[in-house]
Amino acid sequence: MATFGTAVATNQNPNKSVEVAQPPSDSVSSLCFSPKANFLVATSWDNQVRCWEISRSGAAVASVPKASISHDQPVLCSTWKDDGTTVFSGGCDKQVKMWPLLSGGQPVTVAMHDAPIKEVAWIPELNLLVTGSWDKTLKYWDTRQSNPVHTQQLPDRCYALTVKHPLMVVGTADRNLIVFNLNNPQTEFKRIPSPLKYQTRCVAAFPDQQGFLVGSIEGRVGVHHLDDSQQSKNFTFKCHRDGSEIYSVNSLNFHPALNLCSLWSYILQRIFIHQLKCPFFCEDFDAPAQIHHTFATAGSDGAFNFWDKDSKQRLKAMSRCGQPIPCSTFNSDGSIFAYSVCYDWSKGAENHNPATAKTYIYLHLPQESEVKGKPRVGTSGRK
Amino acid sequence: MGKKKKRVSSKVWCYYCDREFDDEKILVQHQKAKHFKCHVCHKKLSTAGGMAIHVLQVHKESVTKVPNAKPGRESTDIEIYGMQGIPPDILAAHYGEDEEEAPSKAAKVDTPYTQLVGGVVPGQLGVGYPPQSTLGAMQPIYSTAVPIPPAGWSVAPRPQPWYPQHPAGSIPPPAHVGFAQQPLFPVQNVRPPLASTASPALQPAQVVPPGIPSSTPPVPVSQPLFPVVNNNTATQSSPFSAPIPSSIPASASAEIKGPVDAHSGGSLTNSHSYASGPNTGGPSIGPPPVIANKAPATQPAVNEVYLVWEDEAMSMEERRMSSAKYQVHDETTQMSSIDAAIDRRISESRLAGRMAF
Repeated sequence: MATFGTAVATNQNPNKSVEVAQPPSDSVSSLCFSPKANFLVATSWDNQVRCWEISRSGAAVASVPKASISHDQPVLCSTWKDDGTTVFSGGCDKQVKMWPLLSGGQPVTVAMHDAPIKEVAWIPELNLLVTGSWDKTLKYWDTRQSNPVHTQQLPDRCYALTVKHPLMVVGTADRNLIVFNLNNPQTEFKRIPSPLKYQTRCVAAFPDQQGFLVGSIEGRVGVHHLDDSQQSKNFTFKCHRDGSEIYSVNSLNFHPALNLCSLWSYILQRIFIHQLKCPFFCEDFDAPAQIHHTFATAGSDGAFNFWDKDSKQRLKAMSRCGQPIPCSTFNSDGSIFAYSVCYDWSKGAENHNPATAKTYIYLHLPQESEVKGKPRVGTSGRK
Repeated sequence: MGKKKKRVSSKVWCYYCDREFDDEKILVQHQKAKHFKCHVCHKKLSTAGGMAIHVLQVHKESVTKVPNAKPGRESTDIEIYGMQGIPPDILAAHYGEDEEEAPSKAAKVDTPYTQLVGGVVPGQLGVGYPPQSTLGAMQPIYSTAVPIPPAGWSVAPRPQPWYPQHPAGSIPPPAHVGFAQQPLFPVQNVRPPLASTASPALQPAQVVPPGIPSSTPPVPVSQPLFPVVNNNTATQSSPFSAPIPSSIPASASAEIKGPVDAHSGGSLTNSHSYASGPNTGGPSIGPPPVIANKAPATQPAVNEVYLVWEDEAMSMEERRMSSAKYQVHDETTQMSSIDAAIDRRISESRLAGRMAF
């Protein structure tokens, strides 16, 4: 599917990913998959929110544009409601639109800030929407009321946000990281400076909620545990660098191994269902259900990598694309990794040529080896 | 006898404790874990000398004896790495008739320092002795150390029908999966035993880097952070929490020896100079311990690098939004997009009517 602009000197798609049809006309700012189906939503700097249906049979993947809405200004963030019916998108127009796209409904504004909205997340457990803005607040919204349920002051502009109930981590300008326990969202659980020395770019809560990843503009990712007793397990590592150039880490996505584990368990359950009395049932049952603490990073260098934080291994380094990758996401079962290749402003306006700039969204089908954590190898020359 | 020459692959043994191993890699691991481990922070160094220097410089203690070594072999001055560096007499004693090999060995052994400093790092195992960096021969060795990892990245390419055809979300996650052990938050016991062996006073002082502030040292608020995970919200979080136990013990136990150095490298301010090339020799994630931004001054190589986006005060998006292109852009679209305009009006009136702004 290497159908890209001929004017582009460098290869935009060296990884032979599948290109999504009819990409946005300007850079993509966020990507998110429906939790229920393979619907991909992209928000972009051309003010649009677009949705594609991704269909897959084996290795063949096809994308069909389904619908789109527009904001008045560039859109910066998006999220799906957990039931897969509705998309929320927010951006420079300082509002969040709720788009019940599955029912074909019209978008309505459900959240307002005093400055552009950089992050939005749906919290199924609370049935609330949370928005983070450059107006230095976090707001929680019941989508039926026009007033926020709660407004949380932030120390600075919101740059990044991740929710894995009950853990929520907000990254702001000036390297603040604010940890919330959503069982008590009105008080900060903890405020810490980023373990990284440079501007926070993205955060991602561990699937087990014990900590989070933080990525910075300095090509580095911090693995941070929340519990004081686990501080010794914290570490940082470098990535998205090329020689003397250090690129920003733009996106961190944990692999949603949940469903795979469930699937495994399910399969095993079916297999062993007649052997329930087997004393080793539990062992057999547990082993494959191991959650993968694997994640993807994507950066302004145009590369994306897959990592395993527990074994501290890079599982797969993909080839660099010709442009930065500003955002990426896994689909709900982790079988598709979507990433956008377009200009992310990392080299400023002077390096942006609207005439030649192209935006792509690619779909990568991760191999098991890329996203499945490897047991820590005892024999190879590690450490 | 011919086999003797191949002893590296068939029969290697540890100079310090005479234990035999099948594989030199295992031997090296053994040595790092048993003999070259810092007793204070449990960082694993690659040589006894390196460990001594680490302990001296980082913890201000002096180590004169290699831990767990047989009497007479406790010297930290002898540079041992796997089977390299073993004094010829001891080698000969161990291998009795293996004399013909001794000469070549002897050359190496007699002048371990000069050899190593000269860059004659034998074999891939010699990669980047960390202590060398403190001995003044660092750069070349370090840089040669870095390229080694590739083997580690290798990806087992077994195509598997792993996630294909299954309906997402339709599978009820078995609630009891792996509820055997749940070290979710209160995992206090995992590491402290290790760390508590020595000078707790030194620990915090060293471990608290500028980056990790108040949260670490202060009163151990061992109030479990999100204990709910296990209890209240079992339904929601069980899918998350359930599998963890199987992963944490698995990796944690396996990791316990390894990550100590990596983490300390990551959080210690000045540890990167000891960050031991060998650490990166494994398939670890890059060279985690090297903290370029913590002490760029001591990292000549890093000084030349630059951040592609270096505006600390503003994000790319903020800059982009403020650029003329998008200011103009939105005006025009705003006008041209009737839908948007209507929508906006609706929402504004709606909000105006209800919101107490």
